[in-house]
Amino acid sequence: MLETAIQPPEIMPSVFGPELPRQRAADLPGIVSLKVSQLFEDIAQAIYLRGDDLSVVRQATKEALDVVDMGMIKAQDSINILCSEHAFNILEGKPYAQMLKTIKDVVQERTGCQNIRLRFCAGGGITEAREIIPYFQLDSHFGGQVRGTGPFDRGVPIKTEIGTLYGLARVYDADWFIHAHNDDPREIYFHRLIDRALKPFTMSYARFETRSAYHMNFGNRSSNIVPRAIFDSPFVQEKFAFTCFLTTSPAGITGVDADNDLHQLNRRLTVNTLNSYGKLMRIFAEIDECVAVLDAGRWPWYLHAGGLTSGNLFKAPIDFMDLSVGSIRKEKGDVKLNSAVKALVINYAWRELFVELPRIYPTIVAGSALARGLAKRILKHSVVAESLQTAMEFALRISKTDKVIVFDGSYGSINLSPALGEYLLEKAPEVAQRVEEKLLPMWLLQRGIDSEAVQGPVLDRRSG
Amino acid sequence: MKKVYLLSKVDETKCIGDKICENVCPTGAIKVVNRKARVDETKCAACLECLDMCNEGAIRMVPRERPLTMGVDPLDVDQDELRALCDRARFDPDDPICLCTLTPAKEVAAAILKGAQTPEEVTLMTGIRTSCGMWCMAPILRLLKAHGLETAPPKGYRWYDVDANLWDIPEAVSQKYPEYYLEEDKKLYDESMLDNLILMLT
Repeated sequence: MLETAIQPPEIMPSVFGPELPRQRAADLPGIVSLKVSQLFEDIAQAIYLRGDDLSVVRQATKEALDVVDMGMIKAQDSINILCSEHAFNILEGKPYAQMLKTIKDVVQERTGCQNIRLRFCAGGGITEAREIIPYFQLDSHFGGQVRGTGPFDRGVPIKTEIGTLYGLARVYDADWFIHAHNDDPREIYFHRLIDRALKPFTMSYARFETRSAYHMNFGNRSSNIVPRAIFDSPFVQEKFAFTCFLTTSPAGITGVDADNDLHQLNRRLTVNTLNSYGKLMRIFAEIDECVAVLDAGRWPWYLHAGGLTSGNLFKAPIDFMDLSVGSIRKEKGDVKLNSAVKALVINYAWRELFVELPRIYPTIVAGSALARGLAKRILKHSVVAESLQTAMEFALRISKTDKVIVFDGSYGSINLSPALGEYLLEKAPEVAQRVEEKLLPMWLLQRGIDSEAVQGPVLDRRSG
Repeated sequence: MKKVYLLSKVDETKCIGDKICENVCPTGAIKVVNRKARVDETKCAACLECLDMCNEGAIRMVPRERPLTMGVDPLDVDQDELRALCDRARFDPDDPICLCTLTPAKEVAAAILKGAQTPEEVTLMTGIRTSCGMWCMAPILRLLKAHGLETAPPKGYRWYDVDANLWDIPEAVSQKYPEYYLEEDKKLYDESMLDNLILMLT
């Protein structure tokens, strides 16, 4: 059941990253591939996994938009289509870029509106927009009406039920906006899959003070009141036209969902995520020891293996889908990262935002060229090996395990060592049974959803 | 403690004086004078925000002749006052409140007790908010307010005053939205068991 390692998605060059690697971990001897469908056969199937033919995504977007009311948009109006950086990390970003272009084409065709602008909302800095917009030829498709915006840009006050919060002025500077996002569960340890579809209103579309309040002035369940308060505010509601989401499972892109009612789409997203990702998240918790390899082009917590981000391994021991889990602190100073990760090999990742990982995990940097591109405070807690091969050899020696998992951006399959592949295959039946019989009904019930009503592989507008 | 090795340098031939850099500088090191940005070298923390935000490419980073050191020793202030300030701001003094610099609450509290009155002055003294700049603003504002300081934002958009927080959510809102576990999280907070972003990741 284990196959030759699949080639991972290509890495987009970026000023945030070091020099591109000469060798990917998938090319190492001893790395094989395990299809996620071999672990859990009911994972929602993909309509797109790789390649330049994106017609299936374009068609799915058109079909999803068929049921959306665009009657509020007049030909003379202005519209902002809001997009966010992380989705350009999913399968090289091509499906998301295609969805955005198709939304623009369909809206233009149906409403006659010409003033359709793309607002690229950065995770960190505006430089992300300067790189990504031309890379995906979004500027030409939108006739140059594309602007980046980030957390330090001019703000706009938004009066909400919990006080005044600040959005980004450039996000809301049109008559209407379209919330165009993705359903990657990504940081489930922060948002807990409570209103995941609303989270961008306190992150991508918000000033840094609002983002900070969300993360620092609340717990990870209660913080979700912040995006809800923003989205439900009169200011935002007056401009909201509709939403369109690229939907995923660990197998790849599963489709596109759209709605005039974001809360309804959020409900479908919640069900689909629990159904599609729940088992994989819980089997990550079963990994008893491993070396984790970072080998893709984004921040270290956001690199995919079998469609699940690396952060979900680092936080795997806790079931964050279980909303009865309030605190994970036992005693002051507890280390809260997964102790099953015995060593970390960095073959590629963007250079910042992971100072905490090398402080906790023995970390080996694969080569001096990579080391030159990493932040000093990361290197302070790492060692540098001559090459990826020697980095792996060293990691395996100090960790005393033969289980390796590679976060290289792959969906559909996980690149890993045979020992880990066989271990996961052995664990999968028990995990599947536990999720189906106990956890999934509990997760759904905690979110006010009747599990009997949501049987089936994927909910969409028509079924849900 | 943070050591700053770089410095922002403005190319005046490219600078159009749009004040974006002035508005994003966390220490107030940049001022636009006669339509040209000027950098106060004693204040530049090399956070790179001006470099990132400048649409004209008018800013580059150059090495400093001598590193700039930022940091406050929490032991330099009265420890009872320090603990009381952290208590009022609802922080454990030892908890880090900045994801990048891992600056503890007690260091920011010490800076405030030593005279810092604004987020800019806190940053200059401690080095907090000099990397991603994203997550530590709410804690800084909480500590300044807990010391009784007015937090009036400067002209422009360098920062806005946001104080939404768990413990001030109106009861009616808590009852209206049980799905957010507001009352349960308040209880955890009272037991010092609530996990914020930094405590989750470190």
